[in-house]
Amino acid sequence: MNGKKAFATPLLLQAQGLMKSFGPKRVVDGVDLQCHSGEILGMLGANGAGKTTTLRMCYGFLRPDGGEIRIDGIDRVSDPDRTNRLIGVCTQDDTFDTDFTVRDNLLWFGHYFRPRPTDLETRVAKLLTRFDLARYADAKPDTLSGGYRRRLMIARALVHQPKVLFLDEPTTGLDPQARMSVWELVDGLRQEGLGIVLTTHYMDEAERLSDNLLVLKEGRVVSAGAPRTVLGDLVGEHVIVLDANIPEAGAVRQWLKDEGIGEPIRILNTWQIALDGAGLARFSAAFGQLRFEVRPPNLDDLFLQLTDDDS
Amino acid sequence: MRLYLAVAAWQSWAVLKRHLVVYLRNWHTAALPPIFEPVILLLVFGVGLGNNIPAFDWKAQNVSYLAYLAPGILAYTVFMTAFFQALFAAYIRMHYQKTWDGQLTTQVRLEHVVWGEALWSATLGLAYAVIVVFVLGGFTLAGWLELHWSGVIAMLPLLFLAGVAFAALGLLFTAIVPTIDHMNIPFYLVIMPLGFASSTYFPLESDTLLAQAWLVINPLHHLAEGLRLLLLSGVWSFHLAAALLLFGLMILILLPVDFRLLRRRVLGER
Repeated sequence: MNGKKAFATPLLLQAQGLMKSFGPKRVVDGVDLQCHSGEILGMLGANGAGKTTTLRMCYGFLRPDGGEIRIDGIDRVSDPDRTNRLIGVCTQDDTFDTDFTVRDNLLWFGHYFRPRPTDLETRVAKLLTRFDLARYADAKPDTLSGGYRRRLMIARALVHQPKVLFLDEPTTGLDPQARMSVWELVDGLRQEGLGIVLTTHYMDEAERLSDNLLVLKEGRVVSAGAPRTVLGDLVGEHVIVLDANIPEAGAVRQWLKDEGIGEPIRILNTWQIALDGAGLARFSAAFGQLRFEVRPPNLDDLFLQLTDDDS
Repeated sequence: MRLYLAVAAWQSWAVLKRHLVVYLRNWHTAALPPIFEPVILLLVFGVGLGNNIPAFDWKAQNVSYLAYLAPGILAYTVFMTAFFQALFAAYIRMHYQKTWDGQLTTQVRLEHVVWGEALWSATLGLAYAVIVVFVLGGFTLAGWLELHWSGVIAMLPLLFLAGVAFAALGLLFTAIVPTIDHMNIPFYLVIMPLGFASSTYFPLESDTLLAQAWLVINPLHHLAEGLRLLLLSGVWSFHLAAALLLFGLMILILLPVDFRLLRRRVLGER
């Protein structure tokens, strides 16, 4: 499976060869993705990589110029009514109906689906309890804190019991405690069998939650698979961290150039250099006298590498 | 064709129902304008100003200014209510409240949102017109007006259609104005002049070609004159047929343009 975490569960979302251009600029260029029941697929990429456009095509805001999207086997473009019934969408921005209370937001959302969710009032009551929103049921959404707004957004996306849930940066702007509680909710939804597609700028979030990752750059998939596989593909096996202000900085730079690695990524006063096992051995042989730290790569390294390449 | 068929889709009516529910929750404040505006206008202009204007000849009839004004206010109410809802209220829902964005994450698509807004604007325009009819009924009972009531019920579908057409015009500006402050441009340069220069508040008669052309293509003029002939003389005039035709054309032409522009604005599609 090319390093991908395998799932024996049903395939709920399949996109092949997705293309989208805005004017002369191709924003998404041949993206393939899959998400199974009980899987969280994390989409990563720098700003402008095509994540949001891909997601918006998947949940129907944009029509692909090319390619195919199937939700639970049904073609997205030719049967939007049926496929929209199968998906839940939590957009990055809050899109509550501010004329309604928290409870009525959930109830009214149920009116926008056919067939109507069965026993809607009971379903809403359960969601209010599960998402710890019951005490705010009669409040207006704009009076809630950021964490509870996110909870309401996710709860609302689940009113009609979808099979696939799209979460576009679900924890952006939340404090650590609120983020973790959202993670727990998302993890619980995965265990219940939802297929979840997640975009995030928080690398720890992607790493903790995602079963598989899809990394986009300039509208193309540059790597896909389990997080460790993706890191190995794109970053390397090890990351060396060393002081950027050492006298040997010039020699290190030259060595990196000779190795075809290019410029190191700089964070404050440190350099972060991703290397494979052989590269690490050569670096150690060349600069054995230097003090440096070796650590495993993480998604922050990947993100920095992607954005550094862009710059 | 898919866009036109969406008028019958349950999603469009679900959007309308949502607006109706929100409106009815605020009925005690929302009901003030449709009740008091025509009463005030009829009292201030019809009675107050009208008492200083002698009865004048209009289409071979001698009419008071109050009688002339009453059908004009009926037409103006439908026009202004539907247009205002589709411009300001829809813009607020689209841009500030993000109501549309939320609806679009369901089985509701943009064509349903557009139709929902247009149908709701027309519904409100019709409801306000009915309130004006009751106000005019009160003036009739008070002996200040003498109107032919027989054709009024039959006018309701035309008033609804007028509301959809004026809403389509309002949505056009909703789709293109960069900010809410820019709404002053269409409002004061297009809508206010159109509202008044349409035989609503005063007779518009001119022999110049330009004025004649303006009157021929102006649906609000035909609606006001058609309602006036019906209410004052009981006559079904060609103005009503012209209004019907022009409203139909407005809907057929403007709604696809609205949809196209809003698709770009709301969804980012080009």
